[in-house]
Amino acid sequence: MSALLDHLPEFWQGLIVTLQLTAASFAGAAVMGLVIAALRVSPVPVLRGIGTAYVETLQNLPLLVLLVLAVFGLPEIGLQAGLQVTATVVIALYEGAYIAEALRSGVNAVSSGQGEAARALGLTFGQSLRHVVLPQALRTVIQPIGNIFIALTMNTSLAAAVGVVELTAAANRVNLLEAQPIPIFVGAGLAYAVIAACAGLVTGRLERRLAVVR
Amino acid sequence: MVSMRRVAAVAAVSMVGLSAACSGTDSTSSAVPGAPKDNSVIAQAPVASAAEILPGSTMEKIKQRGELIVGGSLDAPLLSQQNPTTGEVEGFDADMGKALAKYIIGQPKVKIVNAASETREALLSNGTVDVVFQTYTITPERAEQVAFAGPYYSSGLTIAVKKGAAGIAKPEDLNGKTVIAGANTPAIAAIKQLAPQATIVTFGSDPECVQALKQDRGVAYVQDETLLVADAQKDPTIQVVGSPFTTDPYGIGLKHGDDQFKKFVNDWLTKIQGQGVWQQIWKGSLGTVVQGEAPTPPQIGSVPGS
Repeated sequence: MSALLDHLPEFWQGLIVTLQLTAASFAGAAVMGLVIAALRVSPVPVLRGIGTAYVETLQNLPLLVLLVLAVFGLPEIGLQAGLQVTATVVIALYEGAYIAEALRSGVNAVSSGQGEAARALGLTFGQSLRHVVLPQALRTVIQPIGNIFIALTMNTSLAAAVGVVELTAAANRVNLLEAQPIPIFVGAGLAYAVIAACAGLVTGRLERRLAVVR
Repeated sequence: MVSMRRVAAVAAVSMVGLSAACSGTDSTSSAVPGAPKDNSVIAQAPVASAAEILPGSTMEKIKQRGELIVGGSLDAPLLSQQNPTTGEVEGFDADMGKALAKYIIGQPKVKIVNAASETREALLSNGTVDVVFQTYTITPERAEQVAFAGPYYSSGLTIAVKKGAAGIAKPEDLNGKTVIAGANTPAIAAIKQLAPQATIVTFGSDPECVQALKQDRGVAYVQDETLLVADAQKDPTIQVVGSPFTTDPYGIGLKHGDDQFKKFVNDWLTKIQGQGVWQQIWKGSLGTVVQGEAPTPPQIGSVPGS
């Protein structure tokens, strides 16, 4: 237990980096997901193709491979950013594909009459998406997006493999000194569990509040 | 239907050809040069007398099992690395494991369980592995969790930089700079102690660290001297500066409290060092990149924690 308590500053610093990674990459993933979902439901075949290609590529590659490629491969072609920035961008792009799919399932859940009604009122594609379809779609997919948020939080631990000192890397370093893996990793695990539990609580409340009454 | 039959026939013929080719490569792989040379070192290694394998002891259990289970790496060059063509694990730590297996069982039968720095203590205490040979630095903190035989080798950390980089000659020069180190290596603690203002970036494996150094993710890379010398030899764009600034005594990790086994392993170490087997293992692995004769092995039990 003392192995954990003696190193609280290191754990705290790691937790802050994990939270930064989570928040920034989730924000990026949300934007990316919205754009890709819009592409995938658009009436233009080329745009639909781009959206499908994006989702299939990103979902079918392991995140660790993408991270290693971005950190060690991109500098070879002259693209180099800080480690945490690179990790944030990669996680955002990767999770964006999952959010896009969640959103698309929400769009498909909105009855086609809604879209038809919007068109009958003379709304353009963008307007009908913004004012009619997406607000309803978003409300039905709060829980799946909450799940993606939790998965994203856990996935930030992969950034440890490319040199970002987040919670998992911090736990590794403390363990190297103390040689007490069980309390140290249980401690780190509890911190992740707390983040996930908070996310679960928030999405639960949001879902009840924003439920579409049909 | 005809085409189906034809496809089946072609498939059958090619299967026969394939299996013939496979057996062909099998017979050649047993004659790969280098493999017999390795075995010759192990062939000279001593075998324990029946009286030394005490009844009811850990070594008797290993002997009955007919296999020594070693916690180690498969990706550490010169120390414990799996050869992709032969499947053999080669290097200093790997050969030490084989020599110990031969001493107990009579044959160098080893099963390597890929251990990580964060799991070694747990693997030893729950009995998944018998011993750990994995550049396991003896520290008093670790000695509370596991027992250490040895030290069987002593190494030190040193600094590598990109060729032509100026201003870094000793660890204190790293203050205020970004330094690359292997994740889970003693380098992290050493840098923190000698250059507290340095920012440490860690990567999982040695090739990743070298790549990061070349891509300016940090100005220096701190790692075990032998590994860095090997890296600098392979890659002319990096160079090693200065001499080692720490002493890391490597111990053989054993289950905590098994004093009988610890004494047995220490006796074995004394024996192979006296007979020159230890020196030959060194020459065949680390000695291939470091100039000169094998160093004097460290005094057994000379380090706090061993």
